Amino acid sequence: MNSTRIEKQRYTRRNRRIIMIGGFFSVLYVLIGLKAFYLQVIKDDDLSEKASSQYQKDIQGRGKRGSIYDANYRELAVSADVVEIGVHPQSVRDKENKKITDKRKLAGVVAGALKMNANFLYKKFKSTAPFVWIDRRVTPAKASALKALGFRGFEYFPTYCRVYPQKALAAQVIGFSGTDGDGLEGLEQYYDEDLKGNIRQWTIIRDAMGRIFDRHESCAPGYEGNNLILTIDATIQYIAEKALKKSVQENNAKDGVAIVMDPETGAIKAIANYPSYNPNSFNLFPKETWRNKALTDPFEPGSTMKIFLVAAALESGMCNPETVINCESGQYRIGRNVIHDTHSHDDLTVHDVIKYSSNIGAAKIAEMIGPAALYNTLRNFGFGEKTGIDCPGESKGLLRNYQSWKKIDNATIAFGQGISVSAIQLISAISAVANNGVLMKPYIVKAITDEHGKIIKSFAPIERRNAIMPDTADALIEMMHAVTERDGTGWQAVPVGYTVCGKTGTAQKLNARGTYRNCEYNGLFVGFSPARSPVLAVLVVIDEPQKHHYGGVVAAPVFKEIVHETFNYLNIAPTSTKEQLNVSNGLGKRGGA
Amino acid sequence: MFDRRLIQYFDWGLLAITILIGVIGMVVLYSAVSVGEASQQTSIFYKQMIWHAMGMCLMLITFIFSYKYLDKWAPVIYGLSIGLLICVHLFGKHAGGSTRWLPLGPFNLQPSEPVKIAVIIILARYFSKNIRVPGITFRGLMAPMIFTAIPFLLVATQPDLGTAGTILLIAASMAMFSKIDRRTLICVFLIIIIIVPVGWKMLEPYQKERILTLVSPDRDPLGTGYHIRQSKIAVGSGMIFGKGYMQGTQKKLSFLPEQHTDFIFSVLAEEWGFAGSMLLLFLFLLLIAFGLNIAHGCRDSFGTILSVGITVMIFWQVFINIAMVMGLVPVVGMPLPLISYGGSSVITSYIGVGILINISMRRFIT
Repeated sequence: MNSTRIEKQRYTRRNRRIIMIGGFFSVLYVLIGLKAFYLQVIKDDDLSEKASSQYQKDIQGRGKRGSIYDANYRELAVSADVVEIGVHPQSVRDKENKKITDKRKLAGVVAGALKMNANFLYKKFKSTAPFVWIDRRVTPAKASALKALGFRGFEYFPTYCRVYPQKALAAQVIGFSGTDGDGLEGLEQYYDEDLKGNIRQWTIIRDAMGRIFDRHESCAPGYEGNNLILTIDATIQYIAEKALKKSVQENNAKDGVAIVMDPETGAIKAIANYPSYNPNSFNLFPKETWRNKALTDPFEPGSTMKIFLVAAALESGMCNPETVINCESGQYRIGRNVIHDTHSHDDLTVHDVIKYSSNIGAAKIAEMIGPAALYNTLRNFGFGEKTGIDCPGESKGLLRNYQSWKKIDNATIAFGQGISVSAIQLISAISAVANNGVLMKPYIVKAITDEHGKIIKSFAPIERRNAIMPDTADALIEMMHAVTERDGTGWQAVPVGYTVCGKTGTAQKLNARGTYRNCEYNGLFVGFSPARSPVLAVLVVIDEPQKHHYGGVVAAPVFKEIVHETFNYLNIAPTSTKEQLNVSNGLGKRGGA
Repeated sequence: MFDRRLIQYFDWGLLAITILIGVIGMVVLYSAVSVGEASQQTSIFYKQMIWHAMGMCLMLITFIFSYKYLDKWAPVIYGLSIGLLICVHLFGKHAGGSTRWLPLGPFNLQPSEPVKIAVIIILARYFSKNIRVPGITFRGLMAPMIFTAIPFLLVATQPDLGTAGTILLIAASMAMFSKIDRRTLICVFLIIIIIVPVGWKMLEPYQKERILTLVSPDRDPLGTGYHIRQSKIAVGSGMIFGKGYMQGTQKKLSFLPEQHTDFIFSVLAEEWGFAGSMLLLFLFLLLIAFGLNIAHGCRDSFGTILSVGITVMIFWQVFINIAMVMGLVPVVGMPLPLISYGGSSVITSYIGVGILINISMRRFIT
């Protein structure tokens, strides 16, 4: 009896302890339950986002970059489809999903498909990195040849590669884009926003080892970039480059620039730079060949500046083409400086100062009209300011305010020393003379089209200002025509059958200390043709010619060749009656109207 | 010998729950190993199938002989287990920085798993013979302390802190259940408070790291914190209903560490969500409730303490494993009973349940 009671007591005590254990366990259980609730129900968004950010990655790419065409829709820059191929070297498997151990054999097979060096590939396959690029510019055909082999562990990314089918043609104008598809130079850079395709997104799913698992592409239409239609004509560009190259090589010059422009509209027909480079492999060329020197490198314009001096003089009303200037027989002292003429003259009319390019005459005209008039006219012609051409890197040259000019500055600027201009400024200014005194904004892109070729934006010629009165322009045309007469300095610029207005220039180059170097010159010729109804304005700059340095000798023949061949190409009839006969005799009816 | 009542009192519910958990374990494991090498996947899966089969057979064998024999044979079982642990130290297979396995032909035995049951049996035997109303005094605790300390030290030096800790927890729980004299209890607590800082200094640097990581898992996301961070992300990204079976991205992309062994719960939580986690937790809770109920219904103290011991063993493993996966306790090597891949753990769990059923079906015998 007693023992049963003790037993019973013991039972109750024991059962109480079991219940205590159960209670204790339940508390701990509730704890994990709550934690699970917190992680999975309350904090779930946060953590599931964390989870997806680990294995999901959005990769941004660009749609196909737009093309660049010349004025006649010839391709200057296009984007070709290529495939980027990479590999996970540790997890290459064959068709039967068996791991490949003989990497040398694998390299041989892959090399056959991609037409690559097997040793080069073997090194890639041996790599311990989780992922290596094999080649980022594989043609689609080779890529599908590799795909057909059925290996696993390769990654294929379709992308584009920029190709310049005309190679070096207009390379400095067009520029190039880098491997990432960003325009780096030239129009590729300036119009990058238009050319580049819209952002497209890939979602890549990867495992913890970084292997790509799956790829979704949000590929909607409208990702391609827009195309540029240039004012540049590939044929004229080719003519200009060929003529420029010949002169630079013949004269052992350092480099050269030629610009062809439509004076009436400001449309650029050609910008040639020599030496050039091939934008398909721009890395192999020195960086200075990438630069479009026609815009970026200002130079002293030399005697070509006399045209604008005379323009200022005529505008000021203080003289006319027949005003006689005493040219001091070749020596003229201003303060401590002495100005020389190449050929000494006594009395010259303003007209002849241009024709024979007298420095002393120019200096005296400048003294007559004063610095303010000269400065204002030069500003009106656009010197000292950017032309606003749609190309990157344009320089505004150097034209100091006349208030800081010394007496000698006024005289030297009159014949193109102590002022620097860019080639594009100079040709724009000359074009203004040809265009009844209206200064046009030079431009190089005439239209932008979308991926279907529809024009979405077109550029009309823009007048900048009236630089001079039409009468002044007429008078200047007369004088510039005289330059190319038999006894003028620019007679070599005249192609058979055509009339030319122009001006030579020969400028000593400044060295680093700002003094003139004796043996280094720029030979220039700038002008337009035909004289009375100009179709083309052309500027030729030959930098540091060694044999001859006169612009009339090194640059004028380039001008002639460009004008002549371009007129042939454009079917522009010769105008000069005297030459017309010769042409008719030689070429039959051509130009006989 | 055979009594009809053995069938009548047979605990079908406990058996059903155990087999259900085992099946869930196989299903989750199939998903967890469905990444990586195909041959390795199937080999892991089939091996585990064999373990489950063997475990169930051993569970059957455990039913047959009355648990009272365990009382008698306790010293032998204990001695053999300790012998195996010593063998591990002498001939064990070294893998992953520790020596835990005895190679037995095609399989490896991890003796530290069955040792848990041996310790439970020997402690149950001791406590059942030494129960006193005021509780066990310090002197009375000496023997169980030695019984625990030997396997604890042998396992801790493998090193396998998780299993060693489990042995300690089981022993402590059993001692608490058997009632410890109040003064002795206070003394023991004081000793622990003094020992802990000393023990901290003796820990390996990586073990210290793990404990520190628990406090702030984002401290070093690519190092020690990686396990916890990744498993928390997996668990959390499962949300309420999970990503679907075989659809776990964290799992599939191998972000999860040890996803078929200690961290298998995170695979389940990712793919089955909060609902699935709760289901499994509920099944384990039922299992534990059944175990405690068996202890409650048992009339002799050896059976009671034995069933309590086995129940706390299962409870602590489940609790520590899941708490670890969710970042509540430091990362220790701790399999989830009947779910995690590993033969020794699976078989030990089945034997444990077998003993519980054994006790349950003989509760009418006084």
